[in-house]
Amino acid sequence: MNTEFGISIKDVHKEFAVNHTGIASLKSLLVFWKKRTLVKREVLKGISLDVKRGECLAIIGKNGAGKSTLLSLLARIYKPTSGTINVNGRVAPLLELGAGFHPDLTGYENVYFNAVILGLTREQVKERLPSIIEFSELGDAIGAPVRTYSSGMMARLGFSIAVHVDAEILIVDEVLAVGDQHFEKKCLQRVGEFRDNGGTILLVSHQLKSVEEFADRCIWLHDGNVQMTGKPAEVVAEYVKEG
Amino acid sequence: MRKDLKELWSYRELLFVMVQRELRIRYKNSALGLIWSFLNPLFQVLVMSLAFSIFLKVGGKSHTVYMLSAYLPFMFFQTCVLDSSQSILLQLPLIKKIYFPREVLPLACVLANLIHLLIGFVIFFALLLFVYIMDPRIVPFQINTVFLPILVLISAMMATGASLIVSALNTFYEDVKYIVTVLLNLLFYMCPILYYAENVANNDTNLKSNFLLYKIYNLNPMAALTHAYRRVLLAPKEIDLGAGLHAHWMPFPLKYLIVCAVFSFCLMVFGYWFFNRLKWKFVERP
Repeated sequence: MNTEFGISIKDVHKEFAVNHTGIASLKSLLVFWKKRTLVKREVLKGISLDVKRGECLAIIGKNGAGKSTLLSLLARIYKPTSGTINVNGRVAPLLELGAGFHPDLTGYENVYFNAVILGLTREQVKERLPSIIEFSELGDAIGAPVRTYSSGMMARLGFSIAVHVDAEILIVDEVLAVGDQHFEKKCLQRVGEFRDNGGTILLVSHQLKSVEEFADRCIWLHDGNVQMTGKPAEVVAEYVKEG
Repeated sequence: MRKDLKELWSYRELLFVMVQRELRIRYKNSALGLIWSFLNPLFQVLVMSLAFSIFLKVGGKSHTVYMLSAYLPFMFFQTCVLDSSQSILLQLPLIKKIYFPREVLPLACVLANLIHLLIGFVIFFALLLFVYIMDPRIVPFQINTVFLPILVLISAMMATGASLIVSALNTFYEDVKYIVTVLLNLLFYMCPILYYAENVANNDTNLKSNFLLYKIYNLNPMAALTHAYRRVLLAPKEIDLGAGLHAHWMPFPLKYLIVCAVFSFCLMVFGYWFFNRLKWKFVERP
């Protein structure tokens, strides 16, 4: 396996079955066996992509272009319909922070759970707990149930966990703008540090300015295909022109 | 399947934390906490024995304890299957964000319920001790109880298999949960919980058919297992069949228990295989 690349994707297709009658039920299965309205929709139509270690790749494109599907494939949430995906290293998805929080458990208990899901052992969580709590700036609120948190607090805690799990690859889906100005700056700084230490970053954003500032390379997805790859400034300029 | 098992092993920390979370969440906002694990089946059984001893006038004076000894393991199976039927659907938002072996979810349900079962047994023995202290002439403890862990193991395998299958199916067709509820209700009456296996052994149909009914009855793995639990936990000399009839205990159903153990093991392996075949489809459910 080539270890120069953090991520290597070859000719990946992804199809989803779309059911027009809504959630499947046994009744609809039995009654409409003959005329099931399962429509296949191809979301990714043959994507090939290599991302070097330590590179920051931005993905831009319209809604429904397949950006999030691509990231989910890399996070191993889906299996591709065809093609191969090689990911070297642990992936920490920053997709919608705090996805796994349980409202009735305290912040402390949720940190445990989320960090272990992302691949830490309980021992490691225990070691990093002070640092996680300090970064999140939650203070004493860490002992309160998460249902009492504001959305900003939840996002801060989620981000704090994700950057403490020693991932080699960070997947950032439109979530850098969490919390207030002060925390956003801190996040960006932390992500920068992560990159300086040789971490690979995949960034999906509609904020074209931050893409230009942050990324080394940019790809533009259009309708499941790679429309253009290149320097962020050039790709963004072309993307804006297209409108 | 070996690859899946290896991966599951590497996520054992997550399984542990998930069980811990499961236990915490269930009684998070209740004052009595874990004690409910025992109080629930106890009250259930008390209600049932109220009807039996006052209205139906069957069962001896310790009918309640007999029912409890069979009801605890049955309840374990039932809550495992019902809890895990929802486990994937409830965690769908999480599954859509982060990768982890999906079988951790139903397995955590089974393990958490296993802990509830063990707590139930501890309090069950405390109850026996109470009986003994109240009347030292009755010694409700017996040596066979050392085989209890084997029965619990069989129960756990059966519950794991059933939970994996039901949780996978219910993710696609939520009707499954309702069908399973009906089937569990049927299973409840097909097992010697409210009555004794001896009732079946001594009824007319069985005697006329030369014990054929009893044989068929015991082929239900859950019935054989429930009977075994009773024999291992309690040892009376004879039991009250109702209507003034008394009968000796039927022998320990070893033959049927072996059938049950093999069945449970196969169910577990099949369940795991079945779950793994479907688990990649969970997030893509149309």
